[in-house]
Amino acid sequence: MTADPAPARPGHNIAMWGAPGSGKTTLLAALFIALTRRNDDWKIVGSDPASSDYLIEKTSALSLGKIFPEASTALERYHWTLIGPAEPPDARWSRRPRPATPPRIGISMIDAPGGLFSAGRRRPGSTPDGQADLRRRELLDNLVDSRGVVFLFDPIREFEVGDAFDHLHAPLTRLAERMLGSDDFRDGKLPHHIAVCVTKFDDPRVLETAEKRRLLSANPDDPYGFPRVSSEDARELFRELCEVSASGNADMVLNALDKFFHRDRIKFFVTSSIGFYVDPRTKSFDWHDYQNLLPEDEGEDLRIRGQVHPINVVEPMLWLGERLTAGEPRAEPSR
Amino acid sequence: MSEPDKDLLRKAVARGVAGLTGTARLTVVELAADGLTTFKIHRDDNGVPRGRRWSVAWTDLTVEPNRGEDARQAVLSAADAATGEVIVVCSFPDGPEAGRALEWLQEAYAAPTFTVDVPVTTLVRDVLADDPLSQSYDLVVMRPDPVTGRLVLATTPLFPIGTRPRTRTDVTVRCEPGDEYGTAFAVVTWQGREPRLLSVRSARLPPGRYEVTAELVRPGRVTFTGLPELAPDPRGWAELVQSVPSRLPPPAGPAHLICAVEVCGADAKVAERLSRAHQVITYLSGELADLLRVSLVAYGAHSFDRSAKDRPVEVAAWQATADQALDALRVLEERGAITQGYPYHPHAAQVEDMLEAVARRLDPDGAAQVVLLTVGDRPPHPARADRSRILPCPHRHDWEVLLGHLEHLPGAAFGAICDQPAEQAHPVWRRLGARTLAHLNALDLRGLAAGLGLTAPAAGRVPFPLIDETE
Repeated sequence: MTADPAPARPGHNIAMWGAPGSGKTTLLAALFIALTRRNDDWKIVGSDPASSDYLIEKTSALSLGKIFPEASTALERYHWTLIGPAEPPDARWSRRPRPATPPRIGISMIDAPGGLFSAGRRRPGSTPDGQADLRRRELLDNLVDSRGVVFLFDPIREFEVGDAFDHLHAPLTRLAERMLGSDDFRDGKLPHHIAVCVTKFDDPRVLETAEKRRLLSANPDDPYGFPRVSSEDARELFRELCEVSASGNADMVLNALDKFFHRDRIKFFVTSSIGFYVDPRTKSFDWHDYQNLLPEDEGEDLRIRGQVHPINVVEPMLWLGERLTAGEPRAEPSR
Repeated sequence: MSEPDKDLLRKAVARGVAGLTGTARLTVVELAADGLTTFKIHRDDNGVPRGRRWSVAWTDLTVEPNRGEDARQAVLSAADAATGEVIVVCSFPDGPEAGRALEWLQEAYAAPTFTVDVPVTTLVRDVLADDPLSQSYDLVVMRPDPVTGRLVLATTPLFPIGTRPRTRTDVTVRCEPGDEYGTAFAVVTWQGREPRLLSVRSARLPPGRYEVTAELVRPGRVTFTGLPELAPDPRGWAELVQSVPSRLPPPAGPAHLICAVEVCGADAKVAERLSRAHQVITYLSGELADLLRVSLVAYGAHSFDRSAKDRPVEVAAWQATADQALDALRVLEERGAITQGYPYHPHAAQVEDMLEAVARRLDPDGAAQVVLLTVGDRPPHPARADRSRILPCPHRHDWEVLLGHLEHLPGAAFGAICDQPAEQAHPVWRRLGARTLAHLNALDLRGLAAGLGLTAPAAGRVPFPLIDETE
């Protein structure tokens, strides 16, 4: 599905990157819920009907139907706007303050089928697949135009399949190729900001790894007392989880990111789209019983056990939005 | 053709049979209207008279041009009476072939001749069936030495020489759990100092004393009453005595069998598990009789959906008689698999809740041996979230702690019947089946019971009835 272009589209694109099944669609669906659960005014609205429809559909599936959204099978573009709390006006320039203006971070997000990113291998002499080439070009165009990237790293998939590097390396190389002549690539680094999201923090294997490495912290303001891994420690957890990659190539993901992106433009987030299970009676995180994913029966969809409490789903977006808007020339205030 | 002739013939045949020893043969030749019938009678190794017969038509005896022998030789050859005692019977003296054959036989053997009008076959059969025993019949028993406790293979007399059929005799025996065939009631005769197996029939008998009446039906056939029906036992003497233990197994004490059955999952599997529990209880009831108490616990899967109430473990019977437990089991069998309350956890079951229910009810000071027999497939829920990704028990029961507690109870034993073969079963089943872990599809009841210490192992089984002359 492709959304109708909106007349007042924000200028920033945030592309989502990750292997198939790494949780891109789930993350998008969790975004609305995460914003709703925050005690602030941040909200997300669709910038066009298709994006609104997508938001409604996926959010309902996640929170009401408690069924995981279908993984995306077609290239889909969505355009949303994150609207924040109104900022106080700058009184220095006017005696009569103008109405508060809430910050708006435009997000143009592409949800692409995971396999499309890694479908770049072509044997010499083989006939190019026109449709795939078209999609790949469209995707690369979007990556070139984007300055923010959400890269999803699914540690469970990496443990079982080990293809994270495979799905990073090909598009990264092509992106660099496309931007080789650009002024933005003059210093040998891509200009993008990249939020590396280590997903499935709710899985016992990920949480236990973080616990054993003493990387867990708690937010005293969190009413549920969920454990968290700060962004400062997330990189170490990422490195630790790479150790158990099925292919043994996960360490190259980290190296590739460092080689192609400015170190200060990479930030790690340990995320969970569905979050931890919270017993409705106790309303707090329980170390004995936190698994929110019901094990699947044969031939049946995954089911979510309790309420969805996304963890670190909004933060990467806000960080990217803030970093991207921070790079814009500041508008001259009107007198 | 008078009644006295018939009696004389009967007496002559009986006398001839009585005189048979070793390899001697008695030949009875009947000359009838249509041909010649020969009865050849001998005694087998047990002294039982055995007869066989063959008939040849007159037409085959008198028309043999191709062989070049005359009719006389043909008749003598068909009679085959060259050795042993011969009796000639003519049941059709007016016939020319019978008359001529009678002359030839009298010339050849100087045999006593009888003329009767009754079927000789019936007469011979009656004589053989009414033959008094030429050898004594003994029942094979085992006799425990009151001092050393050693078991001695012995016999007790049933019928002495000369006993007539339809004679009865009583014998008191004691039966212990038998071997694969149960307890064998073997009758032997004696060849010098060596017993010779006459007959053997077996049955699985509940342990205890039995007042048995043996009846000599006819030579070679003894029946026993006062016992469940005995079945033919195909074993020979060597095989029968091969499994005789040197000592009596320790006496079985009271036992408390707790059958815990997983009643969630596929209908067919649940039915099969309940059926296996049924078999085990029935079998042990036969082995231990009143010494057995049975508890029955049914457990399923936890529900983790707030809309479906978690179904607790069901104690269908506790320390009940085997019959009461089987009644409770039938109720479970009629109900079938628990399907109400979807969604249940698909990969684990309330094993930990079952263990808690058992531990809570068990008397740690109980005198009976306690055996927990778990029949199922799924692993328990962990006490807390772990890498198995199986959701933790809602009651936080810790199966490892509970099982450890039960394992430390004196006399506790653990057996399991798992849907999977041992090598494919979840590791917890190796603890649940610490003493014996059987596969649902290949259950050896005797091995399971012996492995759990509820019955004597096959090597220690007493294959014959016991006789204690001090009692």
